[in-house]
Amino acid sequence: MFANRRLGILLLAPATLFVLVGFIIPVLILLAGAFRSGDTWTLTNYIDFFGQPLNREVFVRTFRLGLIVTAVSAVIGYGVAMAVVEAGPKSKGRLVAMLVLPLMISPVARTYAWLVILGRTGFVNVALTSIGLTDAPLRILFTETAVFIGLIQLFFPLMVLPLISSLENMPRDVVPAARVLGASWFSVFFKVILPLTREGLVVGGTLVFVGSLTAYVTPAILGGSKVLMLETLLYQRVSVANDFASAAVIAVILIAMSILTNMLLKRLASVRRGR
Amino acid sequence: MRIAGNLLLTLVLIFLIGPFVIICIAGLSGGETLAFPPDGLSLRWVQRVFEVESFRSAFWLSIALAIGSTLLALILGIPAAYALDRYNPPMAETIRNIVTAPIIVPGIIVGLALLRHLVVPLGIPITLALIIGHTALLVPYAVRVVSASLVNLRTDVEEAAVMLGASRLQSFFKVVLPNIRSGILAAFIIGFITSFNQVPISLFLTGPGVTTLPIGMMFYMEFNYDPSVAALSGLLAIMSLAIVMLAEKLLGLSRYV
Repeated sequence: MFANRRLGILLLAPATLFVLVGFIIPVLILLAGAFRSGDTWTLTNYIDFFGQPLNREVFVRTFRLGLIVTAVSAVIGYGVAMAVVEAGPKSKGRLVAMLVLPLMISPVARTYAWLVILGRTGFVNVALTSIGLTDAPLRILFTETAVFIGLIQLFFPLMVLPLISSLENMPRDVVPAARVLGASWFSVFFKVILPLTREGLVVGGTLVFVGSLTAYVTPAILGGSKVLMLETLLYQRVSVANDFASAAVIAVILIAMSILTNMLLKRLASVRRGR
Repeated sequence: MRIAGNLLLTLVLIFLIGPFVIICIAGLSGGETLAFPPDGLSLRWVQRVFEVESFRSAFWLSIALAIGSTLLALILGIPAAYALDRYNPPMAETIRNIVTAPIIVPGIIVGLALLRHLVVPLGIPITLALIIGHTALLVPYAVRVVSASLVNLRTDVEEAAVMLGASRLQSFFKVVLPNIRSGILAAFIIGFITSFNQVPISLFLTGPGVTTLPIGMMFYMEFNYDPSVAALSGLLAIMSLAIVMLAEKLLGLSRYV
């Protein structure tokens, strides 16, 4: 826009250099470590990492939980987003604010609340034993269920917000039109609503999926060492065993997933702009 | 259909917000251990939060870190956003990718990378490392939010200022900066909250004596089962709520998130 390119470079230099030196170079060195053993470039770190049954189990569990959390948030998210859109513009603002609120509060505080609810002397167990459903307190903490509940609460807002905005952008009369022409609610959803809101679903889904894969606080507090996920495994490998090779392998997996997802989102955004 | 939708919405809101109500009540417990419903009500654990030395020092470190790294990220990010938007620099796309890269790398990896490949080899003190890590995380937010408000500011007001005899520097400080003030404030609030709540980056960069509040809480709850963390969590939730409501009132923060 302005002619003076040298000034532009001068203004960009501090931020670019800072991020390069204080972020990109250290991260690249760490990632390179995943492909090195001794003085040679190799894939042995990966073979060693996936050779351990525990590591394989954590890898599969992380992806499984990520997929389940994403699928469940998508299903509930559609229901909630439709209810919010139908509630009309007046109450919409307040409802969205309530849905966004949890995002602003410390994840530690957010997760700790579930300790109070799901713990041995927590709300759920007190309620269950007092109405006589169980004799001894149920063990809910440090199971995959607890981690699942924590992750859903943490990431649901990221799914519902894009769904609300794409439902709002959908032409008003397509649903009544399909109904008048004799479509059942089932086919209205799968043939009309879903294709028209696909973009919001992809944006929300990738945010929730990557968020769940790379969550640390929730699995650390609600899963502990019983239900390890990739990030808590990374922390454990480094702090307990000084095992930097495994840590680097996990880092490569997580960053690769994150970059792939980001590229997908960028492509979607450019498709939208080009239309 | 409509009733079912509203029922679902209500249940989801209870699921999302209910835990905060429960934690606030659990923090007001009069008993020795964490329980819900609590054994009687009292303010003893709220009071205890302010007495625990490690919470106090961690709180002030987190506040200082959040303010310092947000300011630094803005000082780096505002000129970068301005140059990217107005000067059409060479390799603009590459540079934009570089300065917004920190957002896509999981924090725990950043922390470990900084510890192993910056702090240890160069002998950097731990507090400085925390500032570097948090600032790197916040630069993308600063660039994005400030870029968003620059796009809304037409360039001809600056051209007019320059044509009327202002230098580029004067037009930036007297015309551009006042006009993107609310964007900068929004970036500051988002940055502050992000840094204050940040766990994974700090995880490897904290040590004995130097701990941020969220990390301090996580370590405390590993060895203690009293209601003080519940009381502290409740206080933090109320603090974030107050900040967000104030921000919403002042500038409609939801436009930027």
